[in-house]
Amino acid sequence: MDEAIGRYPPEHKRSAALPLLHFWQEHFGFISDEGVKWIAAKLDLQPINILELVTFYPMFRQESAGKTHVRVCRTLSCAMAGSYRLMENLREAIGFEPTIDNHGTHNPISVSPDGNCSIEFVECLASCGTAPVCMIGEKLHENVDPNSVVDLVSNPQSVIRNPQSPHPLEHRLVFKNIGRADWKIDIDTYIDNGGYEQLKKAVTMSRVDIVNELKTSGLRGRGGAGFPCGVKWSFIKPDEKKPIYLICNADESEPGTFKDRYIIHEDPHQLLEGILISCLALDARTAYIYIRGEFPEGAKILERAIEEARKHNFLGKNALGSGFDVEVYIHRGAGAYICGEETGLIESLEGKRAYPRIKPPYFPAVLGLYLCPTIVNNVETLCHVKHIIAMGGAKYAQLGRPNNTGTRIVCVSGDVQRPGYFEIEVGAVTMGQLIYEMAGGLKPGRMLKAVIPGGSSAKVLRADERFKIKDRQSDGSIIEREMSIDEIPMDFDSLTAAGSMAGSGGVIVLDDSRDMVWTLNNINEFYAHESCGQCTPCREGALWMKKITERMLHGGGVVEDPRTLKTIGDNIAGRTICAFGEACAWPTQSFVEKFPDEFASRAAKPVPPPLPPEYISEELTERETIPTTALAHDPGWEKAGSAGTI
Amino acid sequence: MFNVQVDGVWRQFPKGTRVIEACEQAGSYVPRYCYHKKLSSPGNCRMCLIEMGLPKLGPDRKPELGADGKPVINWMPRPQISCAQDVAEGMGVRTNSPLVKECQRGVMEFLLINHPLDCPICDQAGECRLQEFSVEYGTSESRFLENKVKKPKNVELGPRVTLDDERCILCSRCIRFCQEIAKDDVLGFVDRGSNTVLTAHPGKRLENNYSLNTVDICPVGALTSSDFRFKMRVWFLKETKSICTSCATGCNTVIATREDMIYRQTPRENDAVNSCWMCDYGRLNFDYLQSERRLLEPRIFLGNKFAAVDWPTAIAHAALQLKPFSGWEIAVVASGRMTNEELWLMAQLARALDVQLIDIVARTGPGDDILLSTDRNPNTNGARLLGITSEPGAKLPVIAEAVKSGRVKALMALGENPIDTGISVEQLSNLRAFIVMDILANTATEHATVVLPSLGFAEKRGSTINGKGRLQRLNRAVRGPGNARDDWEILRDLLQALTGSNGIYSIEDVFRQMSEAVPQFAGLTLSKIGDLGVQVMQARESPSPPVDPAVSDIEKAEAKKTSGRSR
Ligand SMILES: Cc1cc2nc3c(=O)[nH]c(=O)nc-3n(C[C@H](O)[C@H](O)[C@H](O)COP(=O)(O)O)c2cc1C
Ligand code: SF4
Ligand code: SF4
Ligand code: SF4
Ligand code: FES
Repeated sequence: MDEAIGRYPPEHKRSAALPLLHFWQEHFGFISDEGVKWIAAKLDLQPINILELVTFYPMFRQESAGKTHVRVCRTLSCAMAGSYRLMENLREAIGFEPTIDNHGTHNPISVSPDGNCSIEFVECLASCGTAPVCMIGEKLHENVDPNSVVDLVSNPQSVIRNPQSPHPLEHRLVFKNIGRADWKIDIDTYIDNGGYEQLKKAVTMSRVDIVNELKTSGLRGRGGAGFPCGVKWSFIKPDEKKPIYLICNADESEPGTFKDRYIIHEDPHQLLEGILISCLALDARTAYIYIRGEFPEGAKILERAIEEARKHNFLGKNALGSGFDVEVYIHRGAGAYICGEETGLIESLEGKRAYPRIKPPYFPAVLGLYLCPTIVNNVETLCHVKHIIAMGGAKYAQLGRPNNTGTRIVCVSGDVQRPGYFEIEVGAVTMGQLIYEMAGGLKPGRMLKAVIPGGSSAKVLRADERFKIKDRQSDGSIIEREMSIDEIPMDFDSLTAAGSMAGSGGVIVLDDSRDMVWTLNNINEFYAHESCGQCTPCREGALWMKKITERMLHGGGVVEDPRTLKTIGDNIAGRTICAFGEACAWPTQSFVEKFPDEFASRAAKPVPPPLPPEYISEELTERETIPTTALAHDPGWEKAGSAGTI
Repeated sequence: MFNVQVDGVWRQFPKGTRVIEACEQAGSYVPRYCYHKKLSSPGNCRMCLIEMGLPKLGPDRKPELGADGKPVINWMPRPQISCAQDVAEGMGVRTNSPLVKECQRGVMEFLLINHPLDCPICDQAGECRLQEFSVEYGTSESRFLENKVKKPKNVELGPRVTLDDERCILCSRCIRFCQEIAKDDVLGFVDRGSNTVLTAHPGKRLENNYSLNTVDICPVGALTSSDFRFKMRVWFLKETKSICTSCATGCNTVIATREDMIYRQTPRENDAVNSCWMCDYGRLNFDYLQSERRLLEPRIFLGNKFAAVDWPTAIAHAALQLKPFSGWEIAVVASGRMTNEELWLMAQLARALDVQLIDIVARTGPGDDILLSTDRNPNTNGARLLGITSEPGAKLPVIAEAVKSGRVKALMALGENPIDTGISVEQLSNLRAFIVMDILANTATEHATVVLPSLGFAEKRGSTINGKGRLQRLNRAVRGPGNARDDWEILRDLLQALTGSNGIYSIEDVFRQMSEAVPQFAGLTLSKIGDLGVQVMQARESPSPPVDPAVSDIEKAEAKKTSGRSR
């Protein structure tokens, strides 16, 4: 525990709140009120500061779960692959009423009467390519057969699928080693395959040179926004007095995205090397890897990798004799999508609710972690750094297309024969090639209906749309071409031109069997659940949109609904603190706009007359004192007492 | 100074002005919920969205100038919040464009969908920002057909504050106040998204001495004062600007009254004194004005019993009793709660009778680094300046000794109980004259030879000097009860009865006399003090001797009352 506290600057002990809550929950099974108070006291905080966290992060429970805790993914790709049926079957097998649905409430866990088993619907577990998935305890189970749940619960064993071997259209840099028969994730294998050579090279380079290579490479962030990485890095002043932090964003939770998990699981040292090179370039003495709470194995793998690297003096004091002290720490999240947003992540890392910050003034590169300059980069982005040092920025920039350089991993899930991840040269593969050649095409007899090209936040593309896309030729001239969805090159600029975005690289394919109202409702439920609730439009709008689509789905649609949905989206996008606003508005805006008939057919009823205002005279209702939150009491605590240790 | 274009007109604002403030100064009020100028800006309500632009830079990185010689503004495509940014040179803002209106309508709609629309029974009605802005910036029709999110109602956050979570718009003002001003981080949000609720940890509630400020700053009816809740509709209340007299800080206040009843006190902004805040102790300390123990009639002790008399008789009797004595035969226990005017007249009286034994009762209690002063007298500095005391309370043991030894024959107690200074009941009854001027009956009153009922702080006018040397004004918010009379008038009449007419007809005359004699008051009049006061002395923190506070009856009663509330 003190080790966990020691990972953060002494004046920022609060950062250890999440780690301590994880410890507590692992030890006692849930976070009791004693836990809240004990941790608060340990970190010189108020109990409310901890209670705020316990109730914000869905992975923390205030009541005991069953001996076996099952988390079933409910988000789009898994839902399409039958996770609702899986959940129903599980409920039945364990002996629950089929109707209990606590999802979206603070205590979403149902425990079986004998206490042996508990189940919970959770949001995207970042394994959409092997949907449906669930976690039993800490183990991820992929490609679960909804009908074989009984075996699953009684005989839980990890069934992580072997990574695929490369498709001929792929160009693997980051995934070069993944899937090789002789590949192991220990440091020796890595070093034998040329690992940490680029770090050694970077030690001999000046900071400016590394940043310049990055700029030359044209690398754009792979986390979602596609911001040029070298430009971001150059926001750090060369003569900065405050400490500089690097944060690796391993929160991967955008529905449809599942690349970072594989990088961490299959090649942790590659990420570590990328991080260490980046630390050198930024003069960052401390790097945190913010890994989502649902990746417990990933966190362990990375911890091990860090220890191995420390033994080789790749990090720690005077790393590689360069005179540069650098530390890399793992910080686990606890199940909140908004921790992927970089300022939300920073707040979370500071031990607070992941409330994104307003920009201006809180641009991470200026006022980031602990109000110090901070660079946040995605896992994949940081891996590319290593390859850029290896190849040189100019050479790297020749991969892909102008302004869309290098390779990137696209994750395909949904209605295709061979879902999975594919590392392609950016823009060298079209949407059609991706779906029909790499991902094996649609299921037999099915037609393409729509594609969500960059994680569920991206605007949907209809299969029969025509897109006008400008192509920048190598001589700088621009040619505009009209094309079908199949012809869109998979790169940042083309997908933006098509009215959507490349986002996080998560491609969700929908075939003609899909009901768009159902699909949108599934997406809306995700956003309503994940909105941090800080700012008005997103907090209220996300839930409102979900309530409307849910009502439409259950036959209660009224004629005004499509228009209302659209305007709610309009009133959110661009008016919120963080880009979650767009992320939750774009699906609704685009679905309603692109599938008007489908929405209209579900919205036939006349608008009911306005309801009378609810008059409940408070003067008349008896004065009641509602306990602010019911706090569970931990029976084990009695024995341990307040001097107890965990 | 920066040049900023607000709604088409170029104006100048000092560096560091928040855009939202600049707009307001320019006459374009921007609606807001979460922003409070004394707190940090989280930018979470999104009500203050406006259009903003910065000067368009030419190739030489210099602003391009338009035909009017002013910078051409590059408008940002998205609306921006105006509460978190300071003005910059060449900035442009539009506060009432169609886009801004649409943003405001959108946010209002979002805020209202889950809000119980039962304004007729809400306590905030009449001073609710949601109600005001929805008329001004919202649409009238609701398109919301779903069930509202259910949240706890009637949550007692602490002994004095009640919360209705359904009305809360999650602006976080109250949380930030507790963290940033009250330094007591007890409030927080639990749960997430639309289910987020404000709460306190059950084991650590909102009970700090500043808790009621959260009620003032809550823009809606979510936080209510358990004391004031549902007692009175705000639009029936008359408001009087005054100051709190419960400690030396002298927080500026507004006293809300109806028909001579005080319903509440709220802080009034004064950056030189109390910013926008006041403490709960001072805020709630007015019930004693409506106490059963109020002295209502002048009385004199005749033969062996009290007789209620009219004022001329009481004054004449008091003068008659004092006349035989002078110098060391007379002692005066005055009060640091008296106004400058009262103290001044008392000083005249003392001089006329050559009184040396005069002092005020020191009154101390635990203070804090926020507002509450250890000196619980509102006017210790006035008593110092007007020569009533040099070290408050230092002479009281001498007075007690002199009373005990029988050297003192006549004692005046003004707003204080001499028993608390160590004089026994028996010694009091042995005095030839014991003249009491006070508002409440106490253990000494029944031994008085003359009782002169006077007025409380909300019933009279006058001035005080706070612990930092600022001269401030009390105003009359209610009329005094019964036959109680303004203290300065009583003292003036007594002075006249002893020394003949002195040309004082109004409290202004008293102040004029003071301003002629006391250099610190030179050139001032009561009206020139203004609502915000005038600095007249060097900032001097009143000394806080670690002595047991001499607690008078009023204070004891208050202590019981507040402790009854807070624990
Ligand atoms: C709602 C939201 C969720 C996000 N989630 C993630 C995420 O899970 N992983 C990630 O790397 N970036 C995520 N991002 C993007 C980050 O804010 C940030 O742009 C990124 O980490 C920067 O890294 P890059 O430049 O390497 O892409 C998210 C952004 C938003 C607005
Ligand atoms: S947009 Fe949504 S997620 Fe982002 S800060 Fe606002 S409420 Fe939170
Ligand atoms: S209770 Fe009032 S001040 Fe506090 S967050 Fe809610 S609306 Fe804002
Ligand atoms: S701090 Fe002093 S003056 Fe201010 S409200 Fe409290 S008691 Fe009154
Ligand atoms: S007042 Fe600006 S966002 Fe609330």
